[in-house]
Amino acid sequence: MQLVGVDVGGTFTDIVFADTDTRQNLIHKVPTTPDDPARGVIAGITELCARHGLARDAIDHVLHGTTIGTNAVLEHNGTVTGLITTKGYRDIVHIGRHQRPQHYSIRQEVPWQNRPLARRRHRLTVAERVVPPRGEELVPLDEAAVREAARALRDAGVEAVAVCFLFSYLNPAHEMRAAELVREEWPEAFICTSAGVSPQFREFERFTTALLNAFVGPRLKAYVERLDRGLGEAGLAADLHVMCSNGGVATASTVAKSPVLTLLSGPAAGVLGGAWSGGLSDRRDLITFDVGGTSADIGIAVDGRFAEATARDTWIGGFPLLAPMIDIHTIGAGGGSIAYIDEGGAFRVGPRSAGADPGPAAYGRGGREPTVTDANLILGRLDPDNFLGGAMALDVDASRCVVGALAGRLGLSLEAAAEGILTIVNANMANAISSRTVQKGLDPRDFVLVAFGGAGPLHGAEVARALGIPEVVIPAYPGITSAVGLLTTDLKYDAVRTEFQIGAGIDLDRLNGDFAAMRDELARQLAADGVAPRDTAFERAGDLRYLGQGYELRVPFPAASLDKAALTAVCERFESLHRAEYGHVFPDSPIEIVNIRVTGIGRMAKIAAPRSAEDGSLAAALLKTAPCAFRLGDRLETLATPFYRREALPRDEPVSGPAIVLQTDSTTVVPPGITLRADRGGNLILRPET
Amino acid sequence: MPETIDSITASVIQGALENIAVEMGHKLMRMSYSSIIRESEDFGAALVDAEGRGLAESAQSTPLQSGPIPGYVRGILKTLAARGDGVRPGDVIMHNDAYAGASHGPDVGFAVPVFHDGNLVAFAATTAHHLDIGALSPGSCGIVDAIDAFAEGLQFKAIKVYDRGARNDAVWQLLRDNIRVSDLVVGDMEAQIAAARIGAERLAALIVRHGYRRFRAACGAVMDYAERLMRQAITALPDGEYRAETRIDGFADSPDPTKRHLPIVATVKVKGDEIKVDLTGTAPQVPDRPINMPFEGTVDVAVWLTIRSVLLDTAVRGHIPVNDGLLRPIKITAPPGTLANPVFPAPTIARFCTGNAVADTVMKALAQAVPGQVSAGIGNLKVIAFSGMREIGHWVHMEIFEGSYGGRNGTDGMDAVDTLYANTRNNPIEDIETHLPLRVSRYELREKACGAGEWRGGLGSVREFEYLVDGGASVEADGHEFAPWAFSGGAQGRPAELHFLRRDGSAQPLPSKVPHMHVEAGDRFVCIGPAGGGYGDPLRRNPALVRDDVADGVVSAAAAQEEYGVVLLASGEVDAARTERLRREMEAARGC
Repeated sequence: MQLVGVDVGGTFTDIVFADTDTRQNLIHKVPTTPDDPARGVIAGITELCARHGLARDAIDHVLHGTTIGTNAVLEHNGTVTGLITTKGYRDIVHIGRHQRPQHYSIRQEVPWQNRPLARRRHRLTVAERVVPPRGEELVPLDEAAVREAARALRDAGVEAVAVCFLFSYLNPAHEMRAAELVREEWPEAFICTSAGVSPQFREFERFTTALLNAFVGPRLKAYVERLDRGLGEAGLAADLHVMCSNGGVATASTVAKSPVLTLLSGPAAGVLGGAWSGGLSDRRDLITFDVGGTSADIGIAVDGRFAEATARDTWIGGFPLLAPMIDIHTIGAGGGSIAYIDEGGAFRVGPRSAGADPGPAAYGRGGREPTVTDANLILGRLDPDNFLGGAMALDVDASRCVVGALAGRLGLSLEAAAEGILTIVNANMANAISSRTVQKGLDPRDFVLVAFGGAGPLHGAEVARALGIPEVVIPAYPGITSAVGLLTTDLKYDAVRTEFQIGAGIDLDRLNGDFAAMRDELARQLAADGVAPRDTAFERAGDLRYLGQGYELRVPFPAASLDKAALTAVCERFESLHRAEYGHVFPDSPIEIVNIRVTGIGRMAKIAAPRSAEDGSLAAALLKTAPCAFRLGDRLETLATPFYRREALPRDEPVSGPAIVLQTDSTTVVPPGITLRADRGGNLILRPET
Repeated sequence: MPETIDSITASVIQGALENIAVEMGHKLMRMSYSSIIRESEDFGAALVDAEGRGLAESAQSTPLQSGPIPGYVRGILKTLAARGDGVRPGDVIMHNDAYAGASHGPDVGFAVPVFHDGNLVAFAATTAHHLDIGALSPGSCGIVDAIDAFAEGLQFKAIKVYDRGARNDAVWQLLRDNIRVSDLVVGDMEAQIAAARIGAERLAALIVRHGYRRFRAACGAVMDYAERLMRQAITALPDGEYRAETRIDGFADSPDPTKRHLPIVATVKVKGDEIKVDLTGTAPQVPDRPINMPFEGTVDVAVWLTIRSVLLDTAVRGHIPVNDGLLRPIKITAPPGTLANPVFPAPTIARFCTGNAVADTVMKALAQAVPGQVSAGIGNLKVIAFSGMREIGHWVHMEIFEGSYGGRNGTDGMDAVDTLYANTRNNPIEDIETHLPLRVSRYELREKACGAGEWRGGLGSVREFEYLVDGGASVEADGHEFAPWAFSGGAQGRPAELHFLRRDGSAQPLPSKVPHMHVEAGDRFVCIGPAGGGYGDPLRRNPALVRDDVADGVVSAAAAQEEYGVVLLASGEVDAARTERLRREMEAARGC
């Protein structure tokens, strides 16, 4: 099987080719074409094929990560969107939860008011209402009003419509009928329904999710179709799959219908790539740590699997989004993070970033503020002549100048200020990891830190040390982990249903019936995507809480039909998760099943472990020895530090820190007291000296 | 000799303190049962040092809950000392004494002490608004006819619910026996304790990691830092005295003039890097009705909230740590025996809206000093306690109804949001109707009623609740009698309204305070939220924005002409020539 993964970043489009039979893996980079990223994607694949003599028509799958939809939301330039909703509730998406985003601010913006996805003039209401507990019809759907609303929106220049009715997650009939009527009146519109996008309770969040889907829909649909066509014209017969926020991929046609699935997919491929790399060294409990120029993405995998973020924690551009997403935490800390003294005199680093342009002062492109990269350079940890494989020379004097000015104001030496920048940014990163582990009852000392992205390997060892994490894994190509991650995915679709079933009164037949119906629906979708039944798998789970609580915990359910004993086991599992998460249980409280979920998986071919490279030797790998500054207890010391070329390192031979390992797409720092080893899985393993 | 601390360690410890407070808040919110905590987020979590100085608060909790926590701790320490008692490892202390730091009775605090080398060094504490506290009618809002502190429900004055680690079963039994829906309330209290204990554990570990001396020094530096920020912001204000007055409804239907249309007065005195806020002129306390505000726990938080939000606006200044240092440059005074500094046992349980009016009045005063940083008058809030009986006992639900902000320099007011020191969330309709015998029969913006201005006031909301079974309700609100104030040539906003529609079709307007009343199945409350005041001259509003408001149905075409001088064509577009002429005429007419 021949696979190609393509990840479109802000500057570069990364391409990975993998032949799963010969275990040949190849990488390539081309500039991103921001006006139409499809051009860069097609050019990159074509170039890679030409360079390595590969037949384009032999490629089976192209897996692609895109942020087209994400950017449309963040830049608020989606399509003109309309809403048809229940009469009496025109402004649910405007009032939201009536909470201000900021406590202490008069001049703040309220995203859903200042940047509405559908303006009030395009929010029309029709008489209809269904009610709990089972979605009984209280007011019939006014079909004439729906047709009238459709015509009015069309005439007003709207291009996409979300139909959003209260309680549609209990009974979607009105929404579906209304969508049908809109389609009859106006076949060319992009139409979706709130229960079709995410059949879960909480109307503001569900309606907003449907609006986001409509808002980005026409643009993403056009992009996917253009790319698919372009690949065909370039002689590729491959299937196109697109990365989704849930850590799986979907077919191009599914994404064209439900673009909302991609909105939080940006960091997903990266963490999957990190987890795959950890797996090459048989590491299964992982904290992935993807550090770029502006931000760091943190993911937690237990036994190789990532948790899903709870539906109440997923946001984009200030809007809530009810879409399954790998639980990834992003903080504003990266190589470009700016160090400064704020108005109160405190020493801060980030979240403001110099980005790629102008970038750190060291880039010599006009950056005037000291950044994390400048600090690394001053301390000798980055080699000015070997950054990006020597493609970009770094300007040490520029870094000294900007960090020196900061040092002067702090009353510190240049090195102490530079080291302070790293201490603060590392503490920010460690706090973020702590908030994802310790706060959820996970002990970071039971995990391995997989550090990647351009800047992850620079900081991994020190962040791990601050948290007591015993081991750091640096993947073979830390800078292209996202493109690699695309080749580790499966087709993955989610179904969800809100149940609101309680304790002793749980109706097992209804639960089993709903689970079976959801499974069948997913099986049909996978079959339509051409997945053979033997390559499918289904996983069940539920969102449970104590009756009266407002937040649910995700509990795995057995694959088989539920009986009383199985249900008791599920409840016990909930209690143990509750204890782990909160440190407390309420043994006398009834438990409520809020949602049930089924995930349908269509297994796909994946990138294989790379063939072992030739073994090197330390002597051959040694590039030079140069002074680097490190903190030893309370002292800052400058030590003679060997610099090695990664590709020439011998396998399984320990190297004591301090040491620096250089490669084209990243630099690994091995501080004093840490030992480095290149292992057979192609990773570098860093551990404290014993 | 106090240890000095480097700026790097101070930054690291500050981040760790905030991380702990956030974790406490996160756990409390997600574990708790009643919607007033988990959905409305009416809870607080904070770390406090052994002297009762705030070190950090959780970002997600509402200001009126986290802000008072240091006062709770000081109240606990004082109360215990007066009894000859002290704090020991393993204690968990419950407190809600509105005359010793608590915000008001339903906001029960739980403090867990942190010891290091045998010495008391800090507290981790949580507060939360409880659904019921054993007052005279169901729910803990709308108890507007409580005649004194004893009528407001249970009073906890530094009660050890755990004493040196041993659970005080008698107290817990007392709670279960005297509180309605006690399963929910006790569950929430347990969640509060669990969250506070986690905070205490993490804080103890942080102190061990850094050593107590370094920790102390870092806390000192972090507080000094916040103080410096506030002093710098105050220094930028022109020195002077800025006085403002607003009025609250009080009990508008009372025959007693000392109970209605009561003045709230704030004089903000800026000198150098300090602010004094003097509430002299505010009405005398109402001795037998609970709209009096605890001076510590409500009045102070209302004042700080506004000063902080105007001078160190998060949207402008970014994240600023909240701790004791921010408060040091601000002194607050209010004569004893006034609404703003009542004397025990004057009742205080329904002080919510009075306090928000103080916050609004302080902003009205500050508007004179920093006109570009304020909003025009802000609409006050409303809370209704819905209740009834089921086979299994009471059901109680409290819903907070939104206000709105006045227009701002360069942008319109926020529509239909919680205001000032409150920042709670509504409950999803799909949650309410699933779990309670209520139907939310309407939830929309209030149309064609807003404070005109170059930047118009925010829109109010209209929300209707219908009872599906017989039950009861009580109401605690303000702002029915007085419209939010206008600023700099704008028009004032619109007051709130409340209507009770009976099943038989008869309608009855209600005042803003309604003690517990009987409601029958099919009866409805129609809650109409206030609209914020306008900012700047409406004739200077960009006509395109007026056109948009008309297209969106929130301003009528007639109002566009009469209030804004904007004439629209049949197409909805602006008739530029006629608009210019009309505006000139309207301006000329003003001149005479």
